[in-house]
Amino acid sequence: MTAALRAISAQRDVGLVADSLREITVAVHPAGARRAGEGAGVIWHPAGLLITNAHCVRHRRVAARTSDGRTFDAEVVAHEPRLDLALLVAPGLRGRAPELGDVEALRPGELLLALGHPLGVREALAMGVLYAVARDPRSGSARWICADVRLAPGNSGGPLADAAGRVVGINTMVAGGLGLAIPTPVVQRFVSRARPAQAA
Amino acid sequence: MSAPRTTDRAASTLVALSTELADAVERAGRSTVAIHARRRIPSSGVIWRPGVVVAASHTIRRDDDISLTLPGGETVEVTLAGRDPGTDLAVLRLPNGSPGAVAATLAPDDVLRVGSLVLAVGRPGDTVTASLGAISAVGGEWRTWQGGSVDRFVRLDLTIYDGFSGGPLVDAAGRVLGVNTSGLTRAAAITIPVSTVNRAADELLAKGHVRRGYAGVAVQPVEIPERLVRDHSLPAESALLVVAAEQGGPADRAGILIGDVLVALDGAPLREPMDLLAGLSGRAPVEVRLLRGGSPLSVSLTPGDRPSRGGRGR
Repeated sequence: MTAALRAISAQRDVGLVADSLREITVAVHPAGARRAGEGAGVIWHPAGLLITNAHCVRHRRVAARTSDGRTFDAEVVAHEPRLDLALLVAPGLRGRAPELGDVEALRPGELLLALGHPLGVREALAMGVLYAVARDPRSGSARWICADVRLAPGNSGGPLADAAGRVVGINTMVAGGLGLAIPTPVVQRFVSRARPAQAA
Repeated sequence: MSAPRTTDRAASTLVALSTELADAVERAGRSTVAIHARRRIPSSGVIWRPGVVVAASHTIRRDDDISLTLPGGETVEVTLAGRDPGTDLAVLRLPNGSPGAVAATLAPDDVLRVGSLVLAVGRPGDTVTASLGAISAVGGEWRTWQGGSVDRFVRLDLTIYDGFSGGPLVDAAGRVLGVNTSGLTRAAAITIPVSTVNRAADELLAKGHVRRGYAGVAVQPVEIPERLVRDHSLPAESALLVVAAEQGGPADRAGILIGDVLVALDGAPLREPMDLLAGLSGRAPVEVRLLRGGSPLSVSLTPGDRPSRGGRGR
């Protein structure tokens, strides 16, 4: 493939990843508020389960707006400030669950893409590379995905994905210029702990 | 539009590019070390040649008790061969038989092009880390505010994170294009190109320091009245006023006095202090044109060596 064709092809691939992330990303804001989302969220389960950061939801009842412009009422069913994760249920929302990437296979320098609403700009894409995966010194499990990706308030709760569009983390904060995302295995553990409570 | 299907993924150019970038980091990471020579987080260094590590001088805060963590995870004690604050480079010697120390693959300077996709690689701890960006400007030879001469001005549009100074700039093939530093410019990060690092490393390994011309004067730029420029057909409207002269220094021995206005050095105009430094790189006597009390005068000055300011290898 010539360099020009390769560039065009890479550009098309970025667009495809952005499209697939848009499908699973919502804007989260207090119920009744009409202004731009305070944070982002990820459709985690087709039956209307959403994941966002705990710091994005200050009330039990919030609204989630999908990329096609529909707004759904959502209820916070699990809220864990220590992990900075919250699980929401939006009864009317039907979506596609994200494909998850393998966090353990991530390598420094590989491309990462984030979708969110930085400073109120809806569904903005940011691209960069993996800086490092920060691990728990005792268990060795992934604690943070540190990304050389420019994030801003409004990216919180949104997806961080690999070059194939597979979600590897939930963008949560910026530290030392790096974007920090909660690895998806941490999210999965949180969801599996939270769901029995939701059923009860 | 639907998400890329699994079958699309194998053919995805973006995935291929991503793999290439991670491969480049992995390759360069085999030559990137962590240097423990300051209180804060470690800085980075590059195994430039077998047994030789290049780092950023400003991150090496002591001359002794320096250790580094090799890519394989072993920590070894190293010795400082010398440092050149002018180019912000320092050279460290690895002990013989350091395990897992692979010298970097260096790229020639002429591959430096504006727009090239590049990675900054660092090891500010145990693991290799990376940031992505582009070369935003490539210029000719320039002189740093510390007086060092750098073959090319290479400005980067990427983030040099804490601990990245001294680490390599890497192209998509994993070749090293230079050594990154945030210590020479205030705005964007820059890279010291391979040719300059080679030259500094040669000199530091041979002599422990990089020679910079020394006149033993402090100067400040001044404007010269138009009449004087015309009457004495001076090369420029500004020159250097001598505000201090070290006793027994090269300028003092040449008969230069406080208050003299230095106009030209071997015919080249002296507009700013850097011009003086640039003209003193040799050892042969140079002709200094000056104005003393408004009258032109010429003296012969033999450049000396900059005296060390305490400590060794500064």
